[in-house]
Amino acid sequence: MLAAAHAGRRSILQPQRAAQLFLLPSIVVLLLLLAIPVLYSIWLSLTDANLSAGRLDTPFVGLENYSNLLQDKAVHNALLNTLYFTVVEVGGVLLLGLSTALLLNHPLGRWSGFRVLLLLPWAIAPVANAVLWKWIYHANYGVLNAILKSLGVIDSNVTWLGEPFRALNMLLIVDIWKSTPFIAILLLAALQNIPRSLYRAARMDGASAWQSFRYITLPSLKIPLAIAAILQTIWSLRTFDLIFVLTKGGPADGTVVMNFLAYRVTFNFLKFGYGASIANLIFLTSLLLAIAYMRLLKPVGRR
Amino acid sequence: MKPLLPLSRRELLKTAAASSLAGLAWPVSSQQAMAQSKTLSVFAPRPPDPAPPGAAKFSEAAFAEWQKANDSSVSYDLVPWPELHDKMATTFASGEHVWDVVYMSGWVPEFAKFLTPFSAKLSKELVDDLPKSSFATVTWGGETSGVVFTLSLLTLFHNTELLQKAGFKEAPKTWDELKAAAKETTRDGQFGWVLNYGEPAGIGGTASYWMCFLQQAGGKLYNDDATPAFNNDAGRAALQMMIDLMPYTDPGSISYVGINDATNVMTAGKAAMMMNWPFMWKPANDPAASKIVGKLAGALLPAGPAGTASIDGTDAWTITKTSKDPDLAIKLIEFYLDKEVQKRQAIDTGWLPIRLSILSDPEVQSALPNAAVVLEQAKHPYDSYVTPDYNEVTVAIGTEINKALAGKSNAKDALAEAESLVSAIVKKRS
Repeated sequence: MLAAAHAGRRSILQPQRAAQLFLLPSIVVLLLLLAIPVLYSIWLSLTDANLSAGRLDTPFVGLENYSNLLQDKAVHNALLNTLYFTVVEVGGVLLLGLSTALLLNHPLGRWSGFRVLLLLPWAIAPVANAVLWKWIYHANYGVLNAILKSLGVIDSNVTWLGEPFRALNMLLIVDIWKSTPFIAILLLAALQNIPRSLYRAARMDGASAWQSFRYITLPSLKIPLAIAAILQTIWSLRTFDLIFVLTKGGPADGTVVMNFLAYRVTFNFLKFGYGASIANLIFLTSLLLAIAYMRLLKPVGRR
Repeated sequence: MKPLLPLSRRELLKTAAASSLAGLAWPVSSQQAMAQSKTLSVFAPRPPDPAPPGAAKFSEAAFAEWQKANDSSVSYDLVPWPELHDKMATTFASGEHVWDVVYMSGWVPEFAKFLTPFSAKLSKELVDDLPKSSFATVTWGGETSGVVFTLSLLTLFHNTELLQKAGFKEAPKTWDELKAAAKETTRDGQFGWVLNYGEPAGIGGTASYWMCFLQQAGGKLYNDDATPAFNNDAGRAALQMMIDLMPYTDPGSISYVGINDATNVMTAGKAAMMMNWPFMWKPANDPAASKIVGKLAGALLPAGPAGTASIDGTDAWTITKTSKDPDLAIKLIEFYLDKEVQKRQAIDTGWLPIRLSILSDPEVQSALPNAAVVLEQAKHPYDSYVTPDYNEVTVAIGTEINKALAGKSNAKDALAEAESLVSAIVKKRS
């Protein structure tokens, strides 16, 4: 009896070991591609890495870079911009994504062509997208000014990227436009999993359309919406290409977000250590969000 | 059916075997040939920015001949201009040898430790033909690590038709005349002035434009002890001049992040005046790309209280410390600065030569009438104030200037804040 149990356990353990062996190459690749750069970045952030000696010098400075972050006006400005950008973008994308998903879930919106059209903005390469919008927003030749003038909304051309706060909002519009399709498709998939019988039962009980949405749709979308919010937050923290092409952080640093600041400090100012500390701050935020995302993906009982 | 080639099966097999043997032998002989010839790698901007022969379309036959004569091959790593600095920084940080010859634009002080000083090895005939001041921006810590290859100073470009319509027979010569001309030419959807104020950093950024006005006002960026020297009457007058021009400036200027954005407005006939680099002459006179063909003229930048002044684009060739054949690299740079190559560079690409003899060449002056203007501008101050922390300094100043131009600040507050920021940067300068 004992021998049989022992043999049974060995037969269970062996496939596990085999699985671990098979996974080993992937783990090594992940370590090389992800863990080493992350650890190196953490190390860099603890140094005053610079090129002044004709090589990459890395004198150890401990947590000095992180304490400097607290006093740096440029960081404060970038943090505020990032916070505003992220909150408005996530809110805007979720709202538009959910509205679009609801429209596509309606019997009239089920034509597959709608979904293809919807995915177009998402499929455009980020830099190509930024260049496209650069021309749309152009103060003299931009399509946006031409359309608004022909509609009588504005009398003269508006410099859309000429004022700091306005420029940040114009960038938000572009990013929301590009990000909405993916979230809409994600939410549409979740909507299609809600049993139709719930809606039929609600209708028979006399529930209005709003009540069906409030008490059936929204609660059913709680987890997908949370996942979408986390993913979109991570993506908005990564925004760079749009700013690089459209505004270079200007005017007057009005569109400098943390990711762009990390680039500017690292590659323009060649302060590799300080730049790494800014990048690590973004990394830490993304990591915490990613952990929350992983927890949400787990089945309810195992969370 | 008649075969296409009268070969027997045996002959066909023989031919195939011989071909295979030749194929096997080729890499060996090719490697031997490669081992004999020398190679140089050049990092440069992609045309239409100032690129060398073979990368840009000029002196291509001479370039091929030079490679043959020196038993060497030259490979180019060309990237768009805005990507140069960052790619250079990452490459130097890696510590690997990648390039022998590197293009620089005001970055010599920043990367001086990665470069080989070589100006002493240049031929006397060449050095005597170069403006002495052209070595200022490629010298740091007493060592000259580069040689400028194009005289690229900012000068005034103006649309003669728009100025004449507004009643001006010639380009403005003073700040007051500039303001008056800008005001009168701002009409019917056109603007008196256009520039790219969107990007604060570097040469060609907002701060560098203000440096022209600063020198015209008789000011300078640093004191002799390297502390900021601009938060004074001259600095404020310079910024106030830029602010005073804003009502007549294309409003888009505040958002344009590159010189091409502003140039396009000028070549579309939408602006009467701008300061620009000499390259503008060629595209502005290209009927395929410009609406102002034959209407463009150049002039000295209008004089402030201290006269006219400009800044230097500082486009230079340098040699990396990791180069395995610096002598050959010097030879290549001397070829780039050869009289005939310099002449073709000017006529075929629009980038002016740096050699004084070619600048005054009648053929060059006839093809590029702005050459004489740039040469005259070079007789007046044109300091770009490049330092190892130039990007950081110009972001600090440029951002404050940008706020003032956008009406979010004034000249006094903007320069006080800029001074405080630059003082902190300078303190850390090693």
